[in-house]
Amino acid sequence: MSILPPTGRPGAHFEAMGVTPEVLRRVMDAALSRGGEDCDLYFQHSASTSFSMSDRKVNLVGTHVDLGMGVRVVVGDQVGYAYSEDLDPDALCAAARAAAEIAQHSPGRLAAPPIARPRPDLYPELQPWSGVGMDTRVRLLQDWEQRAFAKDPRIRRVEGGLADGARLVMIVRPDGRLFEDYRPMASASLRCTAVDGAVRESAGHNLAGRAGFEMFTPESTERLVDQAVSRTLFLLGAGKPPAGEMPVVLAAGPSAILLHEAIGHGMEADFNRKRTSIYADKMGQRIANAHVTIVDDGTIPGTRGAVNVDDEGNLGQRTTLVEEGVLRSYLHDEISAKHYGVAPTGSGRRQDFRSPPLPRMRATLMEPGPHKPEEIIASVENGIYCVSFANGQVNIGGGDFSFYMRHGYLIEGGRLTRPIKDVNIIGNGPEALANMDMIGDDLVLDDGGWTCGKDGQGVPVSQGMPTVRVKSLSVGGVG
Amino acid sequence: MNSKPENDLLDVAERIVSLARALGADEISASVGAGTSTELSRRDGKVEKAQESRSMSASVDLMVDGRYSSHSTNDLRPDSFRPFLERAIAATRFLEPDLHRALPPRESMGLAEAELDLDDPSHAELGPEARRSWAEALEAATVAAATGTVRSITAYMWDGASEGVTVTSNGFVERSRRTSFGHGATISLEDADGRLPEGYAAVSTSHRADLPSIQQVAADVAARAASRLGSRPTESGRYPMLLDRRAVGRVLGAMLGPLGATAIYEGRSCMADKLGAQIASSALTLWDEPLIVRGAGSRLSDGDGLPSQRRAIVVDGVLQMFFIDVYNARRMGVPVTTGGASNLVIAPGARSPKALVADAARAIRVDGFLGGNTNATTGDFSFGIHGALLERGEVIQHLSEMNVAGNIFDLLNHYVAAADDPWTFSAWRCPSLLFDAVQFSGT
Repeated sequence: MSILPPTGRPGAHFEAMGVTPEVLRRVMDAALSRGGEDCDLYFQHSASTSFSMSDRKVNLVGTHVDLGMGVRVVVGDQVGYAYSEDLDPDALCAAARAAAEIAQHSPGRLAAPPIARPRPDLYPELQPWSGVGMDTRVRLLQDWEQRAFAKDPRIRRVEGGLADGARLVMIVRPDGRLFEDYRPMASASLRCTAVDGAVRESAGHNLAGRAGFEMFTPESTERLVDQAVSRTLFLLGAGKPPAGEMPVVLAAGPSAILLHEAIGHGMEADFNRKRTSIYADKMGQRIANAHVTIVDDGTIPGTRGAVNVDDEGNLGQRTTLVEEGVLRSYLHDEISAKHYGVAPTGSGRRQDFRSPPLPRMRATLMEPGPHKPEEIIASVENGIYCVSFANGQVNIGGGDFSFYMRHGYLIEGGRLTRPIKDVNIIGNGPEALANMDMIGDDLVLDDGGWTCGKDGQGVPVSQGMPTVRVKSLSVGGVG
Repeated sequence: MNSKPENDLLDVAERIVSLARALGADEISASVGAGTSTELSRRDGKVEKAQESRSMSASVDLMVDGRYSSHSTNDLRPDSFRPFLERAIAATRFLEPDLHRALPPRESMGLAEAELDLDDPSHAELGPEARRSWAEALEAATVAAATGTVRSITAYMWDGASEGVTVTSNGFVERSRRTSFGHGATISLEDADGRLPEGYAAVSTSHRADLPSIQQVAADVAARAASRLGSRPTESGRYPMLLDRRAVGRVLGAMLGPLGATAIYEGRSCMADKLGAQIASSALTLWDEPLIVRGAGSRLSDGDGLPSQRRAIVVDGVLQMFFIDVYNARRMGVPVTTGGASNLVIAPGARSPKALVADAARAIRVDGFLGGNTNATTGDFSFGIHGALLERGEVIQHLSEMNVAGNIFDLLNHYVAAADDPWTFSAWRCPSLLFDAVQFSGT
C-alpha cells in the first residue's frame, strides 16, 4: 500500500484515525500529569514497497506498513519514553502516563491547543509513487539488468532492488506547535558479479533520495548501471594497498564519510553536554586549516538528509560546524540547546516512533577550497587515492575513527597508478582535521543511500566533499 | 504490562492464513510476534532515560500463482489488514514466477525434541521498584569500580518478554516464548593527552539468575575502560594475534558469510568450491549447536520450520557444510541443511589466554574493533582494532588506531589454539583464540 501525500489540512490524516484535537489534549495532559517540563508526541504512518531482481527475474516483492505514536516527557536532561502501536485514545494515554513516570511531582504545565505551523517543502514528489504502476517498477529493474549485462561479457550476474516508500509524521508540542510532514524516500541498488579467468569480484552502486519517480531519469539510471558495472570490473584488476601511515587523497563526493566520522558525530551536542566528546572543550578554537569549512545542512532539496521539520518540531537548518578552521556550533536537539542556552539547530531526529529523538547529522558537507584536484594528486609522492566507501565508525571520546575503502588507486610520483581495493583506514578526528592541508574546488554531493547509526537508531543522511589531501592516515593494507 | 496471551497470537496468525487463502494466495506462512520491554539508564546519580515499549506485528510470506512475496505490518485492525493483504497479493502477481519458492513438505517440518528453557517465569515478578534499585546498585558499583580520572559513567539495565507464533498453510504451527534480562555500563575516562577513551560492556541472558553479578559487570567495565588509556599504534608487521573471546564473532563472521547459500548461488562466495577441503589449520573445529539450554541463539526449528539439529561446520580444519535453506537447495539442486547459524561453538582448550602467549616475544591481543569490512567474494578482510601489545604474555602498551588485514584462508591456516575461557552470553560461544603471524598495520 502507499501513504498518499496529504491533501487536507495538517492533522487530518491522524484525525481520520481517531486522533482528534480533544484526544491530543488528553494525551498531552497525561504526559504532563506528573510535572514533566516538556513533552512531544510523534505520530507516524509509513508504508513501503520493494522489488528485488535475481536470476534474471524480478521475483520478489515486499510491502511493509508501520503505524504508531511515541511520547517523550522531559525533565531537565532526563527522558521518559513510551510508545503505542494502537492509536486508540486509551492506549495513547497509557503510553503517555508511562513516559510521565520520569517526573516525580504533581502536574504543572498545561498544554496549549495545537495549531498547525507552516514549514518548507524540500521534498515534493513531482511524480508521486502512488501513481506509478507495479509493472513500471518491474520494467525499470528489468531494464537496468539488461543494460548491465550488455556493458561487458565478464558480467555474470546482476541483482537489483527498487524501493519506494513514504512516512507521514505529525509532531505535537505542549506550546501549541503542530507540524505534519510527508517524507517520501526512494532508493535503487544494483550489484554485479564479474569473472575474468580465475578472478571473481562483486560490487554495486546505489542511488537514493527523498523524491518521487522523477528521481529515475535516463541520466541517473545510466549512472547507476554504469557505476555498478565499472566498479565491479575495476575490482578484477585491483590489488591490495600497502600497510602503514601515508598521505591519503580523498576523491570528491562519498569521501565525506570521513567528515561524518572524524568530526560530525563528535559535534552532536548530547556527547558534548555529557562532556564525553573529544570536541567537548574546543568550541571557538582553531581545529583545522583556514580553508576548512564544514556544514551540516538539512535544507538541500531532495536529499536523504533533508528535513522540512525535525522530529522535535524545529525547522530544518544549515548549521556551520567549522568555519575557516574554527569550531562554531554543535548539532543540537532541544535538551542540549537548553543546556547550552542556544537555539536548537533542527537536528533532533529519530529512527521511528519507537525511539526518542537525538542530535543527528543531516547532510554533512565540506565547502570547496582553493586547490585543483589534479594539483592535490600531483602533490603526493607515495600514498593512496580513495574513491568509494562501504562503511565507517568512530569512538566519540577517543576520537579515533575508521572508514572502509572499496575502490581506490595507489599514488606514485604524483600520479594515480595501480587500482587498489578493500582496505580499512584509521585516523584520529582532531589530528585528521588538522592534517587536511589541501582542499579542492570541486565539491560533489553524493547521492548514495547512506544511513547513520547511533544508539541503535538508523536515520538517512547525505554527505559531500571536494577532493581533499590528508597528510597522514593509517592504511590497513598488507606487507 | 503483560503481552497478549499466546492463544490470541495463534488466533491472529490462523486468521491471516485463512484470509490470505480466501484472497487468492496458494501458500502462506504467517508469523505474529508480540513483546514488551523496559530500559532504564542512569548517569550522574539520576535516571537519564526510562523507556517502556509494547509491540505486536505480523509478517506474511505468500505464494501466488508461482510467485513469491514477503510482507509485514503492525496495523492489524481488520479495516486496514484486509486491504494490506489485497494489495500485497496484487503486487505479487506482477512478478515473474519463481518455481523454486514453496513451503517445505509438511513431513519435513517440525520441532526438535528439546527443552530450551528460554522463558524465565521470574520475569513477571520484576516491577518498577526492583528495576530502579537494580539500576541504582549497578551505577553505584560502577562508580566504585572505576579507576583513573572519570569523565562520565552511565549504567543501564533492560528486560523484556516476547512471544511468537508461526502458522503455515500446510498445517505447521510453532509457538515460542522467551524472556531477556541485561545490564551494562559505560565509563568515559580522561587520558593524559586530552582524549576521552570509553570502556563499556553489556551482557544479556534469558534467565535473570544467569546474569553476571552487578559487581562482575562493574569490574569488567572498569577494566575495559582502563585498558583504553594511553593507547597508540605500534609498528606494522606480523604478530601472533590473541583474539579476545568477545571479539571472535567479528573475525570468524568473515568465514561464515561466504558459507551462506545465497552468496554461493550468486557467485559471491570465496568458499563455494571448498566443501570437504582443508580451509583452516587442523586445530579448528566449529559447531552449530541450536539446542543449547538457555543459549542466546538456541531454537527448536529454523527459518523454514525444519527441526533444529547440531551440525559440524568445520572439523579439524575441513569444511563440513554450507548453510542451505529450502529455497536455495531447490534452485541449486542440492540437499537442504539449514538457512543460518544458531549458536557457534568452539570447544575451550586447556590453557588460559595469557598462558597461550606466554612464550611469544611479542603478540597483539585484539579486544574489539573500529569499523572495517570483509569481501565475501575474495575472503579479504581489513578491520580497525583496539587491544594491547603483549610481551611474553604481559601487557606493555595499549593499542588503538591499528588495522588487522589479510585473507580469511590465510588467517584460518594460522589458527593455533583456543584458550580455556569460553564466552557464554552470545550466540558466538567461543573462548579466546590464538592465531600466528597475522598482518597488523600501525606506524
